[in-house]
Amino acid sequence: MGKYILKRLLHGAFSVICVVIIVMVLVYSLLDRSLILAGDSGYSHTTSNNRETYVQSRYEAFGYVDYIPYSDYLNELARNGEIDADTQTAAARLGRTVEKDSEITAQYVQKFTETYESQGYQVVRLDADTKSNGQVKDGGAAALYATRDKPLISRVITYFTGMLFIDNIHFVPDTTDIGKRGLTFTLYDPVYNPTGTEKKLSPAIIGNGTKHKYLLYLDDQFPYIHQNFATLNLGESYTVNRGVDVFTTMVESQGSYVLRSLTFPTGLTEDSADNLHTAIYAEGSREINQVYAARFNDDYTNINTFKAGFSKLGFSFVIGIISTIMAYILGLPIGLLMALQKDRLIDKIGTIYIMFIIAVPSLAYIFLFKAVGGKLGFPTLFNMESQSKLMYVLPIISLALPSVASLMRWMRRYMIDQMNSDYVKFARSGGLSEREIFTKHIWKNAAIPIVHGVPGSVIFAMTGAIITERVYSVPGAGNLLTNAINKYDNGVIVGVTLFYAVLSVVSLLLGDILMSVVDPRISFSTKER
Amino acid sequence: MEINYKELGFTEEELFTRVDHNELESEKITAPRYSYWKSVFRVFFRNKLNIVILALLLFMILFAYIYPSLTEYDPYANLMDPNSKHLSPMAALQYFGHNIHWILGAGASGESTFDAIWNGSRISISLAFICGAINMTIGVLVGAVWGFSKKVDAFMIEIYNIVGNVPSILLISVLAMLFSPTFWTMVFALTVIGWLSIAYFIRTQVIIIRDREYNLASKCLGTSTVKIAMKNILPFMTSVIVTLLATEIPSYISTEVFLSYIGMGMSEMSLGRLIYAAEGAMVTPGWEFEFWSPVAIASIITVVLYVAGQNLGDASDPRTHM
Repeated sequence: MGKYILKRLLHGAFSVICVVIIVMVLVYSLLDRSLILAGDSGYSHTTSNNRETYVQSRYEAFGYVDYIPYSDYLNELARNGEIDADTQTAAARLGRTVEKDSEITAQYVQKFTETYESQGYQVVRLDADTKSNGQVKDGGAAALYATRDKPLISRVITYFTGMLFIDNIHFVPDTTDIGKRGLTFTLYDPVYNPTGTEKKLSPAIIGNGTKHKYLLYLDDQFPYIHQNFATLNLGESYTVNRGVDVFTTMVESQGSYVLRSLTFPTGLTEDSADNLHTAIYAEGSREINQVYAARFNDDYTNINTFKAGFSKLGFSFVIGIISTIMAYILGLPIGLLMALQKDRLIDKIGTIYIMFIIAVPSLAYIFLFKAVGGKLGFPTLFNMESQSKLMYVLPIISLALPSVASLMRWMRRYMIDQMNSDYVKFARSGGLSEREIFTKHIWKNAAIPIVHGVPGSVIFAMTGAIITERVYSVPGAGNLLTNAINKYDNGVIVGVTLFYAVLSVVSLLLGDILMSVVDPRISFSTKER
Repeated sequence: MEINYKELGFTEEELFTRVDHNELESEKITAPRYSYWKSVFRVFFRNKLNIVILALLLFMILFAYIYPSLTEYDPYANLMDPNSKHLSPMAALQYFGHNIHWILGAGASGESTFDAIWNGSRISISLAFICGAINMTIGVLVGAVWGFSKKVDAFMIEIYNIVGNVPSILLISVLAMLFSPTFWTMVFALTVIGWLSIAYFIRTQVIIIRDREYNLASKCLGTSTVKIAMKNILPFMTSVIVTLLATEIPSYISTEVFLSYIGMGMSEMSLGRLIYAAEGAMVTPGWEFEFWSPVAIASIITVVLYVAGQNLGDASDPRTHM
């Protein structure tokens, strides 16, 4: 069994990688990349050579190309100590055309070109754009940059190797002096004991030199014990939720801030929504920002906030799981009843309902539910600030009713198949009561294929439903992919696809395992004969 | 009773011929003549409901194709007339005169809702039939090979597991952005991987029947694979294919409505686009007809297609021909 599961997981990992490659080819190679500039105000406000470089920087931000401006190259050299500040300033001064470059500039341009052309980059030199009177146009200064399309293979490899981030004490560059690096274990979490006098017992592991300050801590938020040793990076968002990882976008809470009285490490006390446990290292932040300097003793200042609502996944999951449970509670008994009362009234009504759900476009009946529900006085739009539980009613019903139909359909089908089989006739001739036949034989056999779908429906409850969430404006995860596609947010597209693919592989595997647990006849390990 | 043969006016040779015992003829077993498709339609039309549904289906399809070609429909004809917009049926009939165009009122740019939904239906029905034809043809052919050959099976299952995990919305939207979102782009987007799930379904059915005893026996007796496929398996598959077709064709209309609603549909004013464009009218008093008419027509078309197809599928199962 273990061997089989391992094989399935490896197989699953292989298909997930293939899916990511296909999606990367789709979004990075096939799509017209100039579409991202369509609604871009930066693009329409820049002109001439500046527009060219702006376009390249945009492409880099969306992940299409590696783009290195000449000035970055010089900065890099200066940082490594190869050139001094004066040389850098002199070398950075590009002439209007190649011929007009000063000697030192020409020398470094030559170096720049050689370095990057050997790595497969295309080096582009834009001559100054001049007016008829010889003056340089607005934004028309000469420019030099190297650019290349990111190769697919290296893109895939960097994506998968960068996916899991293991926090370590060398995260902060070794050149930065931050005192003694290391991990410390404390029984008294300083967030709860800011002054050191009140001893509230709460173990935590605190790092110095790591990315996250708190690597392990307890708090009152689900799941109560949190770790930051390993974090998941599915891909950084650019337009949907700027600079934030897809996974974080899905799991971070939304809505209005929850203020509470908070004492910062410096001793300053104020009402704040900051969650000190989420502190991330931000180099030099206290020097730039007075607000940070007044509150923190170290540069772990990048902090998330407490918000009142669920996360995207949370909203989708609450709605999804309730509707799934409802669907099973309603669908299975009704399907059973339909099978037992075959060709009678209840069977006919059920069949009409199933037909309605299958044939009518889902959009049509969801709108119908919305209109009817609105007439009955249920809120038809979701409002995160509202405490009312009534707003969940319509989305849950809209999600549950179609799954009820499909469960009814399959339950009826499986039951009828089992009722007509030979072993039932044999059991009846053997003198078993109808009740016994039903509970001990038919029901158990008919439930097996149903069991297979349970993990899938539970897991996919959290990915949300596109139409339902859109119609009722639920802030869930269902619209993430369509939003990302509409906004050309390539990082999010890839991340969400990977997430879905992993869920689908896992839920299929869990379904198979659960089925073999329920039915001992099904075995995945090859037996010796 | 005595009959005088001479009075009938025939010669003896015309009235009587000698029939000898025929070995070959005596071997023949007589049974009522059975024609598969005749029986299918006999069973199908035995149910009077089916006649009604088929008539309704034919009427809707013919209407969707003939009506728009007979009438001139210009959605922007009344664009400049501020009084013609968002009219309820009563107001529209009064404003424009009593005419079939206005029985469902007028839309956002003063166009006739009735004309709009039939033009939209024509596009949606065409899309559904073209996609259905392409996907079913490829799907059934590939599925048959997939089910028969174990080597192809091992390969195709991998493809299916991988491609099945690529979100179809992503694929469709990428294709819609690559080419302009026209009718034929939509057909391409819906068929480029749409056949895969049909092929998988057919594959499963073929595998179930392939190893039945009568096929094994047939194989042992030396029947060629092609003959087994044509004579033993294809007749069994007909009802499965018809039933599948009955779920597939309406599903393309639903998919099109869904894609239009999330803003990834085609540029033509199909039913989905009409629903998408009129979504705001749903809650505005007096405008409801613009929204609910395309929804209702889309639902009626899909239900009629589905029911007619399912019943035809039932009728094409030889076990119901008794």
